[in-house]
Amino acid sequence: MWSGTISFSLVAIPVHLVKAVKPGRISFRTLHSTDYSPLARRMYCPKHEKIVPPDEIVRGYEIGPGRYIPVTDEELESVSPERSRTIEIVEFIDMNEVDPLFYDHPYYLVPSKGGEKAYRLLAEVMRRTNRAGLAKFVLVEREYLVAVKSTEGALSLITLHYSDEVLPDEGIAPKEGMIEAKEKNRMNKSIENMMADFDPGKYADKRRERIMELLKQKMKENALVESPAVEEEEGEGPPDLVAALEDIMRDMKKQR
Amino acid sequence: MNRKVVEISGRRFPLSNLEKELYPSHGFTKAHVLEYYRRMAAFILPHLKDRALTLKRYPDGVDKDFFFEKRCPSHHPAWVKTAELFHKDERMTVCLVNNPETLLWVGNLASLELHVPLARTVAPETPDAMVFDLDPGEPANILSCARVALTLRELLSRLRLAGYPKTSGQKGLHVFVPLNYREATFEDTRQFSKTVALIMQKNYPDLVTSKMAKEERKGKVFINWSQNDASKTMICVYSLRAREKPFVSFPLEWGELERLAGQGDPESFQVIHSEAVNRAEETGDLFREVLVKEQRLPHL
Repeated sequence: MWSGTISFSLVAIPVHLVKAVKPGRISFRTLHSTDYSPLARRMYCPKHEKIVPPDEIVRGYEIGPGRYIPVTDEELESVSPERSRTIEIVEFIDMNEVDPLFYDHPYYLVPSKGGEKAYRLLAEVMRRTNRAGLAKFVLVEREYLVAVKSTEGALSLITLHYSDEVLPDEGIAPKEGMIEAKEKNRMNKSIENMMADFDPGKYADKRRERIMELLKQKMKENALVESPAVEEEEGEGPPDLVAALEDIMRDMKKQR
Repeated sequence: MNRKVVEISGRRFPLSNLEKELYPSHGFTKAHVLEYYRRMAAFILPHLKDRALTLKRYPDGVDKDFFFEKRCPSHHPAWVKTAELFHKDERMTVCLVNNPETLLWVGNLASLELHVPLARTVAPETPDAMVFDLDPGEPANILSCARVALTLRELLSRLRLAGYPKTSGQKGLHVFVPLNYREATFEDTRQFSKTVALIMQKNYPDLVTSKMAKEERKGKVFINWSQNDASKTMICVYSLRAREKPFVSFPLEWGELERLAGQGDPESFQVIHSEAVNRAEETGDLFREVLVKEQRLPHL
């Protein structure tokens, strides 16, 4: 994935990025029921009633029914940010001020060779103070706003949503009315009665577990099917190369 | 346990179980294996250098269980050079066999076979060679592979590409096409080698297949183009193979391949450890061009 340095004032810590979560979703392939061949997605043009090859596909931004602004890959690339090798922390914030609504995707930052000491120091100080470094950071071709924070002595990086991506909450909270102190107390008590330490290990995706059990059972019963070997399309390949090779072959055979 | 401390380049480390027969039917012991790699170090090291080593360990010899190890064993001495790689988003520390002491340390782990990728760890997505892995499906044998390799040689030379053959040390042959330019990609080498495989199959349907499926391979030579992939490894030239006899994956000159193909004896292709040492010392590294020759794939 990405590797580079975290930097601010005179500090530079070499790190690389790894995923912090692996979604537990079980994914299935779609198969053709007649012989269990795996299915592929193709782009279909309903007007011409045919499958469209990749070199005939372009992008268009829809501005109204049937009206588009075509945009080429080159144009998109010209406005994409340069890949950067640094996570430049521009300010430190109090992590409590960031509503989790802003959290997008979590990663870990792993110290690269020579960065271990500065890494530990930063992680430790941020842990004690619950501070996070706010930075702009280009990953793949998008620029993200990210928070670099401490997670149990490790540094983690959370990509944040930009403020215009978070939908306004106006009108969601009901109009203010009088809340009686007695009601407040009662609510407070019910909550306090149910308080526990956050222990995510207590909860597991039940459906996932059941699917895994089902799969294990079917495996035991040997309920497997095999798809037929895929016939590769002959003559596939860059047309220039195919033509050159065909020529050479013809010539070689003639000489024998 | 039979241990002996050795010192190489000022580094001391123990070698263990030296008398264990790793090739029992041939009486070839761990000490023999280490001696082989010591004498071949000058030839094999340039081909292992800066590449993520996959160890294939045979702790109880070639007849018993083996295991692959892609990660550098965590107990490695501090002087073993390592690199960090990402494998499917997972971080992995790999060994780089960059000096004779690491080669012997790896041999001491009973890693008879040394497998490396077609790219170096500094640029894991940039292949420095394209490979045609020729794998015979019985009753086809190494003779059939030689015929395919010789045809391939002519095809490549008409595209102004030089190829370099070596035995796999098992049943097949490998033809390496050096690239050694920065813009090379696995997508290019895969596409190129696949197209060549398909054309060869089309023109020699009784001899060649480009298909992985076992039943397609019977009696034919499978041109395994799919080895041209960042995640795949090839047996390193000069590595021992874990067969009954200590055969080596050894480079051949095209002239010799022609001669062997003409003789018609499949066994005579194989190069055993002692012959490998003698021949390498006499002719030098026949595979050195693979590391330096710059060639570009045309017509892509």
